[in-house]
Amino acid sequence: MRIPFWANPRLGLLVVIVVLVAVFTALRPAFLDVGLTIVPMQSDLTVFVVVGLAQLAVLSLGHMNLAVGRMAAVSAFAAGWAYDKLDVPLPVGLVIGLAVGALVGAAAGWTIAATGVNSFVVTLALDFALIGLVSLLYSTFSDGVAFHVAPAGLDILRGDTFADYCMGDLCGPPIPLVVPIALVAVVAVGVFFRNSRLGREILMTGSNVKAAELSGIPTGRRIIQAHALSGLLAALAGFLLAVNNGAFSADIGGSFLLPSFLGPVLGGTLLAGGAVSVLGTVFGAALTEVIQTGLNLLQFEVEKFKIYIGFVLLVALSLDRLRHVLAERRSAAPAERGGTA
Amino acid sequence: MAIALCAVGCSRNTTHSDQTKLEPAQVKVALVPGGPHPYFQPWKDALQKAKADFKLGDVTFNETSAWNQTTQNSVLKSLAAQGFNAFGVFGVSPDTINSTFGDLHKQGFHLASLGSCPAGDTDNADFCLATDVRQAAYKAAKSAIAAMGGSGNLVHLTGNKTDSNTTRRIQGVQQAIDETGGKVTLLQTVTDIDTDLQTAQKAVADLIAAKGAQINGIVTTAYNPAVASAAAVKAAGLPVKVVAIDDDPTILGDIKDGSVTASVVQNPVGQAYVGSYALSKLAGGCTMKTSGQTVDSGSFVVAKDNADTYDTQRQQQTAQLRKDFDDKYLSCS
Repeated sequence: MRIPFWANPRLGLLVVIVVLVAVFTALRPAFLDVGLTIVPMQSDLTVFVVVGLAQLAVLSLGHMNLAVGRMAAVSAFAAGWAYDKLDVPLPVGLVIGLAVGALVGAAAGWTIAATGVNSFVVTLALDFALIGLVSLLYSTFSDGVAFHVAPAGLDILRGDTFADYCMGDLCGPPIPLVVPIALVAVVAVGVFFRNSRLGREILMTGSNVKAAELSGIPTGRRIIQAHALSGLLAALAGFLLAVNNGAFSADIGGSFLLPSFLGPVLGGTLLAGGAVSVLGTVFGAALTEVIQTGLNLLQFEVEKFKIYIGFVLLVALSLDRLRHVLAERRSAAPAERGGTA
Repeated sequence: MAIALCAVGCSRNTTHSDQTKLEPAQVKVALVPGGPHPYFQPWKDALQKAKADFKLGDVTFNETSAWNQTTQNSVLKSLAAQGFNAFGVFGVSPDTINSTFGDLHKQGFHLASLGSCPAGDTDNADFCLATDVRQAAYKAAKSAIAAMGGSGNLVHLTGNKTDSNTTRRIQGVQQAIDETGGKVTLLQTVTDIDTDLQTAQKAVADLIAAKGAQINGIVTTAYNPAVASAAAVKAAGLPVKVVAIDDDPTILGDIKDGSVTASVVQNPVGQAYVGSYALSKLAGGCTMKTSGQTVDSGSFVVAKDNADTYDTQRQQQTAQLRKDFDDKYLSCS
């Protein structure tokens, strides 16, 4: 059964985003203020897209990573420690952070593959353990609860946009310098799941682990690799948040869990595993960011803010689902009538 | 794009906003707490009073940050986009709020860190008007130790472990204990129980069930554990001396009936009122003599004997703070 183009969930999300941008702009023209709205939105979005990809990496297996925030926190600690104590350059600290994230993720994956315990339980337990570890590490290795180091380039990466770089009168667009980092992650994860053998085998494992095993796929190893990828992406999200906030601190990752699910699930990634949507994750995260910024501009009180963000998300999801069901019915109808229409 | 431009020779365009002198009616002050918390509620009325007294153009109070630094950054930028040009901010994360202050400062806005100063030695806001949390915790612990008779086991209940203010409070309590020369032992420091009253109540109930008989004193340096421990000790009928924080009506009632020994009361009204005043002055062309100056908004030990009169002392402190800004901290030509 082929679903018409207008029922594509990515297109649906894009339409909802465009409509919301138009509505918020009509209500508050400041929504299009480049310096105070558009640029900060893009910086925040990089974090939420990457954290969404971190969750997507294990959703591909039908697993969950409830420790996504703490993996980011441990990795940010490692990067901050490397900058503070070893005085390493910016990219080296990033690599150290990514390696720690991947290792922690791989350890979670190994535990799940070796014991057969549900990923929900393993990553929940890991999250608890890492909360304690992060506090302990900061109290042992830093004076307080953060590293305030600024390796060369960090402030530029945090504060500059391409518009700050000009050749004569020709300047770049108002896009923060962190955006390409997230774009690389998006493209790499997209290519990984769409084109690489490893990515396809992870999806097959998520779709049906028995069938995958019978096809000769080493499913245990694929589980470890998918979780390692999740840890690596969580580490990247933690690094981006540290860059955006200006310090590598213990509270990094504390608010990652909900956005990590919102992006992929809004974007059409199945919780059951076997199918992922990288572009959908980008749109899902963008939708959440647009709603958040719009409601901020409308200055809702805190309780109303939460009600409305839940309400708008619910309406967006319901409309998307309705459109999908209508499309399925339309496609099914001709078949029921013998395909004469 | 930047790489492409720079490959053929580019220049970095660094523009800074010029700060223009504003009339009071052009000054729009936004007070942004870290999130919803009873401590900030007096800010609302104080802000309205400041608007009327100093004839400010507009004011707003926005607590939607809900204890998340990323959200608070978005809230601040949103308010700036709507025309607010002076901000009094209780930074969610003292470790990262300085970067936010730096960003907003570069764009020409006036900033005060209210209620909490950034961690570290520098403050990118124009000034910080807050309780000296280490000093307040020290005062509270000293009161608790005095009530315990100078010896015994003390428990410290406080807020989020990943908040550098908590680190300062722990240091303040430790200083008071160290000064007893070993007569007082810190039995336990319980952190992360200021999220809500229910969490604090559970933690206090667990603590009393496990170690109630050994505890001689409890010092609380966060709001919810203060309310919870006052109620729990009263209900259990234990001879534990409790020193609380802030002046919630429940705590004041407990002080009057003797179930709470004392409370260290802060000055949120002074922070909001004098903070708004100083921001309006800065927007009007004054400058801080010392940029990033830290000013203690005051903390007062309230016991049975001054439970009815301490507010007068607090009002005097607020008036003095305003005078100090005029006389000592601001430079106006």
